[in-house]
Amino acid sequence: MTDRETADIRGSIEQLAAGDADRRAEAAERLCRAGSSAAQAAVPLVRACADDDDRVREWSVAALEELGPAPSGVLPQLSELAASGHPLVAYWATTLLGRSGHDAAKAVPILVKSLESAGDAAVAQRAAWALGKIGPAAAGARAALEKVAGGADPRLARLAREALDAIGT
Amino acid sequence: MCPANPDTVLRPRLSAGPARRRRILCLLAVCLLAICLPWLAAPAALGQPLPAGGPVGKPWDAVLIASFNIQVFGESKMAKAHVVEVLARVVRNFDIVAIQEVRAKSDDIIPSFVRAVNADGSRYHYVIGPRLGRTVSKEQYTFIYDTNRIEVDATSIGTVPNPGDRLHRPPLHVRFRTRINPPQMAFTFWLVDIHTDPDEVPQEIDALADVFSSMLTLRPDEDDVIVLGDLNAGPPQFGRFKKMPNAGWAISNATTNTHRTKTYDNLIFDTTTTREYLGRSGVLDLQSTYGLTLDQALQVSDHNPVWAAFYPCEAQNLPGPQATTGIALAPR
Repeated sequence: MTDRETADIRGSIEQLAAGDADRRAEAAERLCRAGSSAAQAAVPLVRACADDDDRVREWSVAALEELGPAPSGVLPQLSELAASGHPLVAYWATTLLGRSGHDAAKAVPILVKSLESAGDAAVAQRAAWALGKIGPAAAGARAALEKVAGGADPRLARLAREALDAIGT
Repeated sequence: MCPANPDTVLRPRLSAGPARRRRILCLLAVCLLAICLPWLAAPAALGQPLPAGGPVGKPWDAVLIASFNIQVFGESKMAKAHVVEVLARVVRNFDIVAIQEVRAKSDDIIPSFVRAVNADGSRYHYVIGPRLGRTVSKEQYTFIYDTNRIEVDATSIGTVPNPGDRLHRPPLHVRFRTRINPPQMAFTFWLVDIHTDPDEVPQEIDALADVFSSMLTLRPDEDDVIVLGDLNAGPPQFGRFKKMPNAGWAISNATTNTHRTKTYDNLIFDTTTTREYLGRSGVLDLQSTYGLTLDQALQVSDHNPVWAAFYPCEAQNLPGPQATTGIALAPR
């Protein structure tokens, strides 16, 4: 990435916190167009999933879909956001943790809480998925995964079983 | 036999004889021409032909089916006139465009866009599916089609059942038919529009393989199923599709994203039942086709449209050897 592209991304990250919704939407759209080059914007984009403006949220979600894994340095912040009470924020923070695989091992306790809470189903499913991506380092989640593997949510049950397979014995 | 080529219809032979017989024959020729006109007119009359490098303007002997992920197709994009103009020009090149990533709270995005497409006198219409997705961020699938050349079976529109919730955004299926005379010779086919979840691609490809197999036997009178869309995968990642002996796909060895780095978009079909495939396919590169910079093209979408050409008549109506020539499958 060129210096200019790096500066553009930094500028867009700052603009994502602007007071004006139009400017925030423009920033989210620019970050979306940057694709995986915008990885350093992972945390601001996840936070932007709680924006009041539809356009900001939609462009932020689209950017996160294309982002790939987040830099390892922001994983602690993403772990905090994975416990957010805003489902879309928690969902995407959890997704980025899962994309980091083994590197996100410290997030296991928070992911277990997402699994065990009676909160958003999509967040719980993503938590099970992320634990599978973390693999053997998520052994501490085994009991929680075994519990939901026999539950009524077919997708959650399947993801939990897959995670248990990935964690191994 | 499939409708005659333009030369035969445009220049019918008139035998010598009474003036009355000549007038009747002339009238019949004019009527036949009027009925077949959408398929017989010069390409330039049916849509704006692309510059070299993209698919040709609509031919009389092929139906062009495309798939296009228009990234975050909603209010922001529709507010940019230059973007809408490019999108409209893209659509006009094809008989049907399967679109993914309609993301809007408003129900007027696609109707407004189709009005833009039809601003040049075209007659496109659309079918749109429900809002789908496991979070509050939803997407819709839509098909935009040229009503001069394509008909929709209105009873066929639906979302593929998704037992076990294996697909984040279950595909939209619609059955189409080419507008050709006689209608019993028309090419009919299912289109199944899909946008997989980029974080669960292998699992969703596996589920799509089941969808494909089910759709092939859904109706005893319909053996043509084309799964098309943003698979977030290229042929090497096609999982169970690669193990199906007759599955083929239109795009190989070509990138389909605007950055020209990935192959994510495709059209998949059964090569033994969908013999209508003409072996012609491609990627409409937004930058080179419309003279756009990378950033301008990305404002349109992070995907390029992909397309494939099919014969407008059912394969059993193709004259013998022609039914098998020209079908060049993408290598596995």
